[in-house]
Amino acid sequence: MAEAAIALRPPLIEGDKSIAQVTHDVCAPMEARPTALWWVALLISFSFLLLGAAAIAYQISVGVGTWGLNRTVGWAFDITNFVFWIGIGHAGTLISAILFLFRQRWRTSVNRAAEAMTIFAVMCAGIFPVIHTGRPWFAYWMFPYPNTRGSLWVNFRSPLVWDFFAISTYFTVSAMFWFIGMLPDLATIRDRATAKWRRRLAGLFSLGWNGSYRAWQRYEVVYLMLAGLGTPLVISVHTIVSWDFATAVLPGWHATIFPPYFVAGAIFSGMAMVLTLMIIARKLMRLEDYITLRHIDRMCKLVITTSGIVGLAYGTEFFTALYSGSSYEQFVFLNRALGPLFWGYWTMVGCNVFVPQLLWFRRVRAYVPAVFAICILVNVGMWFERFIIIVTSLSRDFIPANWFHYAPTRVEVATLLGSFGLFFTLFLLFCRFIPVIAVAEVKGVLKYGKPRLESAHE
Amino acid sequence: MSKRRTKRYWKSLKERDASPDVLKARADEFPERGPRQFRRRDFLKATGFTLGVAFATGCSRAPVQRAIPLLSQPEEVVPGRSLFYASTCAGCSAGCGLLAKVRDGRPIKLEGNPQHPVSHGGLCATGQASILGLYDSQRLRHPLKEGKKSSWAEVDREIQAELANIRSDRGAVRFLSGTITSPTTRAAIEEFLKGFPDARHVVYDPLSNSALLDAHEQTHGLRVLPRFHFDKAEVIVSLDADFLGTWISPVEYTADYRAGRDLEAKRISYHVQFEPRMTVTGSKADRRFVVAPGEMGLLLTHLALRIARKAAAPLTPGAPEAVSVDSAFLDELADRLWHARGRSLIVCGANDLQQQFLSNYLNHLLGNYGPTLDLKQPSLQAQGSDKELGGLLAELQYGKVKALFIHGVNPAFDFSFAQRVDETAVLARYVLPEQHYLESWNDAEPVSGLVSVSQPTIHPLGDARSLVETIAAWNGKPKPAYDLLREHWEAEVFPRQKKESNFDAFWDRAVHDGFAEVEPLPIKSKQFNAQAIRPILKAQRPEPGAFALALYPTVAMLDGRNAYNPWLHELPDPITKVTWDNYASISPAAAQRLGVADGDVVRLESGDQMLDLPAFIQPGQHDQVVAVALGYGSKLSARFAKVGPQWLDAIVSVGDKGVVGLNAAPLLRWSEGVLQYHGAQVKVSRTGRQRELASTQTHNTLTVPRKLTPPGSGPRPVVQETTLAAYLKDPHAGVEDHEEKEDLWPTDHPYTGPRWGMVIDQNACTGCSSCVVACQVENNIPVVGRDEIRRNREMHWLRIDRYYSEAESGQIEVAYEPLMCQQCENAPCETVCPVLATVHSEDGLNQQVYNRCIGTRYCANNCPYKARRFNWFNYAHDDQLQNLVLNPDVAVRSRGVMEKCTFCVQRIQEAKIEAKRRGEKVPDGEVETACQQSCPAQAIYFGDLNDPNSQVSKMMANPRRYRVLEELNVRPAVGYLTIVRNRPPEGREKSKEEHHG
Repeated sequence: MAEAAIALRPPLIEGDKSIAQVTHDVCAPMEARPTALWWVALLISFSFLLLGAAAIAYQISVGVGTWGLNRTVGWAFDITNFVFWIGIGHAGTLISAILFLFRQRWRTSVNRAAEAMTIFAVMCAGIFPVIHTGRPWFAYWMFPYPNTRGSLWVNFRSPLVWDFFAISTYFTVSAMFWFIGMLPDLATIRDRATAKWRRRLAGLFSLGWNGSYRAWQRYEVVYLMLAGLGTPLVISVHTIVSWDFATAVLPGWHATIFPPYFVAGAIFSGMAMVLTLMIIARKLMRLEDYITLRHIDRMCKLVITTSGIVGLAYGTEFFTALYSGSSYEQFVFLNRALGPLFWGYWTMVGCNVFVPQLLWFRRVRAYVPAVFAICILVNVGMWFERFIIIVTSLSRDFIPANWFHYAPTRVEVATLLGSFGLFFTLFLLFCRFIPVIAVAEVKGVLKYGKPRLESAHE
Repeated sequence: MSKRRTKRYWKSLKERDASPDVLKARADEFPERGPRQFRRRDFLKATGFTLGVAFATGCSRAPVQRAIPLLSQPEEVVPGRSLFYASTCAGCSAGCGLLAKVRDGRPIKLEGNPQHPVSHGGLCATGQASILGLYDSQRLRHPLKEGKKSSWAEVDREIQAELANIRSDRGAVRFLSGTITSPTTRAAIEEFLKGFPDARHVVYDPLSNSALLDAHEQTHGLRVLPRFHFDKAEVIVSLDADFLGTWISPVEYTADYRAGRDLEAKRISYHVQFEPRMTVTGSKADRRFVVAPGEMGLLLTHLALRIARKAAAPLTPGAPEAVSVDSAFLDELADRLWHARGRSLIVCGANDLQQQFLSNYLNHLLGNYGPTLDLKQPSLQAQGSDKELGGLLAELQYGKVKALFIHGVNPAFDFSFAQRVDETAVLARYVLPEQHYLESWNDAEPVSGLVSVSQPTIHPLGDARSLVETIAAWNGKPKPAYDLLREHWEAEVFPRQKKESNFDAFWDRAVHDGFAEVEPLPIKSKQFNAQAIRPILKAQRPEPGAFALALYPTVAMLDGRNAYNPWLHELPDPITKVTWDNYASISPAAAQRLGVADGDVVRLESGDQMLDLPAFIQPGQHDQVVAVALGYGSKLSARFAKVGPQWLDAIVSVGDKGVVGLNAAPLLRWSEGVLQYHGAQVKVSRTGRQRELASTQTHNTLTVPRKLTPPGSGPRPVVQETTLAAYLKDPHAGVEDHEEKEDLWPTDHPYTGPRWGMVIDQNACTGCSSCVVACQVENNIPVVGRDEIRRNREMHWLRIDRYYSEAESGQIEVAYEPLMCQQCENAPCETVCPVLATVHSEDGLNQQVYNRCIGTRYCANNCPYKARRFNWFNYAHDDQLQNLVLNPDVAVRSRGVMEKCTFCVQRIQEAKIEAKRRGEKVPDGEVETACQQSCPAQAIYFGDLNDPNSQVSKMMANPRRYRVLEELNVRPAVGYLTIVRNRPPEGREKSKEEHHG
């Protein structure tokens, strides 16, 4: 019976790997000298990072006025980028925590990288709430720390304070989850290391992992518990981020649909980003056997599911506006679709709703370049979704005399590029210094110790 | 020690070869001290020395800064408390009364003087902003001779010597000035000129009303400006006279106009405006007709014909050609005018003799001379004569004039005594600085019989001298202005009254009140002389394809005298909302014809003159008229090259020529001896260049673009209005009702004490924007410059939204809505601030705590009114002298913090403290916000909403009251009163309406 069940499922890892081979496949690239391609990629990413750093330094020294904001549109690129990056971060926790709890073992090939992506994305996101303030050197006032300023405390009614809690919790739990999951692999690195510094460093971070039964048992328990903790965060973080808008009075922001809509959108964009990175990584690091077409296929299915939810949300927004009877609300949605930023709106709908429909076709899902292109478009579309929500609602609200457009400045564009620079720099460093694939977990899904599939097929 | 240490190191050969003793001695820094131990006695010695020295130095005197209080403190001066001195505004020649708020020896704010019979407590934008002129660091501080610094003694000596020569040579001396209403100064000039055989005082106004005066000279035998009484007029017909905006004495006229349109007193005048471009006055008119300037005279003839027929007066014009205004309407208007004989008023703004004759004739036929046009107590606010200016210019051309004195005008610009170095000053041999009116004694007689006093409010800054003093010096009788003034008053003004028998008492009261009412100067007008009246039978129309030019002054710049003032450059024009530029206004149809859009630079060509200006598309303008503002392009504005934040993408505020805007004066025309502001024929063509205009409001109507209009929705109820007919039936007409929504939560704010609130009467508001400047002065609001305005980042806490709409008759109507923070009870801004930087006060204010603000801008995003302003940069406060105008009660905000209107909380606090000291509640009317105080139309009410007897509570209960965006349930503390347009009655309402007409 068991044999038959297994026989029906193609293997998760291809190439008939032995345990030693897996270890070697993952660790060898880290131990060799970096390739020229890696150096070029790092150089480009790092240049963007420096560009972003310069832009931020200039903005902080001169003022938020160096952005294209105005008295009507008080947020634009800054919060768009923030929500975008937070959204990107969602797939990691989803893959690591929720799929873990659901025993989706195909996740093992991608979870390490996805979690890394989460952490880097949250780091990118975290920049924006700080630098978007007029006086970033006082941004810590958003944090309810004991102070000597009398009864001054934060405003617990403000979603920005909840944001702070949500994001810091999310970052902490994600980082912890990532790190705990990495312990056995760090020990592997330590054990394989020939260089002294590598042995010491890996030894330090592997927390004295000895591979004993007891260590494994505790590790599994902690991992499960962290997965349990992480699961609600997948829902809560973007729910709270969406409250930044939903609790406001602005038409187009003030909507109860926002929490599920944002969470779905976040998972959607996160999945697309994971796919984007994985497709690059499997090619560059020759991990085709680990990240197989089946992985891509499954993730594509998640993408199309969330795309459906997002599309439904877009439709629901229009229906709600119509049903509300509020002409302000109705105007905002007409303005999104037909107003001056119509191209942004249709980019968003096109990329997020129409393009992913291609993934219904198995052949498209199996054709990696197509999947890659779709994922890039989804990311573009999701960035535009946040931009449209923020900018169209702000730029044309209740009183027509206030209406004003928004256009980004060079400084803002450089800051956005800088955040991508940071993200990819961190990701490239991650590829070099940390096993991209959870070696210990992948070993668990090998055919090793299981009935031979070939015989089942025969 | 150990053997290893025996190895010896040396730094030089000398050292190596020296004896061990020397080396040892060198190693010891204090060789003679013996064993280096700090003993008990040493310790005590050192301690004693230290203490001793400490005492000794402590006893010596620290350098004393001689900040000694006055030996005998003036009784009334208390540091930190403001004093108010009554004075007279010299921003223009209208002579409005003001109260200068003086704090610790420096004036910081000008308020209207509510008792003043001319201005009735209002003060216009120019008046409000004129205080900055006092603290202008580029003001001339000393006399200049040929552009170089000189001294008064030297200049006086040289000029007197020259004058003696000219006198003996019988050379011509001319004194050129703008309108001087000061009786003392006029007397001094007269006396000065008397000393020369050939001397004349030539008066001209850069914004000339010469024809108006000339016409009265011919029809009434008096070259005077009648005093208009808009309050007594029930039907007002204005032919391109912008009397609420810039024409002669707008504050006075606005107050009167408003008094004649008091719905609460059931009085509302009927105002018809004919004009070629949209003016402030036209925007308030009940009926407004777009008439080309060349057609205005024809229109007057048509009107005169109708009235003459009714009056059975002889006017045989022949056959005038048809006029574009509907003849049925003209019949009706004539009926109304005739019905309101003696209670109507026709004003004509054109500087054209024939048109003024006709206007006088109409007023004469309607019996308006006396009731609404006062010639017995005429106005002296405009005295200029273009004819005399023309004569002077001819004399100058022939080189006949030996000495030309120019005071207060800038003829080199609009076609020296000066406060700043302007165009004329550059040409003059001697430039003599005159004191600012806030630092010198002076007087004014804006209306015959009303003598207004100016008194100094600060020790003069720099080495300037007032005109009377200078002339007295040249007359050989140097005296301080104060003495000159008193002497003149004792001799000339005091005898004109009978109330006071003692001059000192009279003087003291006049100085205290700021004015004195005396007998008007005796004048006698002749019988109306209809000889001069010649009907105008033909309209002057520009050639097909060409445009008629209309040059006009703006509320901010006037004739250019305010070009030094950054507040006024940044003040959005009441109609166009454009700042920091002048432009060529054209109608939408003309724009379409020319294929230009807003900001496309067009070339205006008239004769050999050429002007490249950005186009501005102005609804409500004649299709064949291009309108350009005067007063721009002045050298005085060159200083604004660096105004506003300087950063990567910043664009300078000045144009290509280094000044703000371009001077349109070269397009002015002399015609029949008068300056023509209207009618010159110009060709307009595209240049293909662009210059984006910095406007504070880019969206013009309340109706959203058609393709974005949700089905079934009309204009947004942001502005609510009605017609008089509907109002009379139901005063609540036009107000959109919203049911009071029930709250889920208990009331957050119980307001046990006062609750501050405001009501704005939109029907009274003329959009004149004086409140905007008043707020800027009061609250230390920075100037941000053209580029920042272009980026929609102006800092004005109070803005006036302007909306266009189209009436059934097709006429473009304008609605003004002054909007500031609405101090909501359910304030959306308060809940979203993460750091509690904006909180609700117990008396109903949304307070903004600058120190706590970190600048997330969430509050501004969530404000439905967008009333909050963010400090995008650190705005410059580098000019130390200019900083003296800052209100010490209001913090200067740094970059990164949000700010907004707080109902002048500093004034509320001051009143509360004072009331508490007296042990009573703050009496109603004690707190006046800056905007309310200066409003010439008294459109703003402010006070305690919890006091049912306060004026603001009563206005809140007015059936016309609505709240902006009431449907959001944010519960604003600001109420608005609907606009009621006095529309021509229709059908059944006609008889009813006429009763009130």
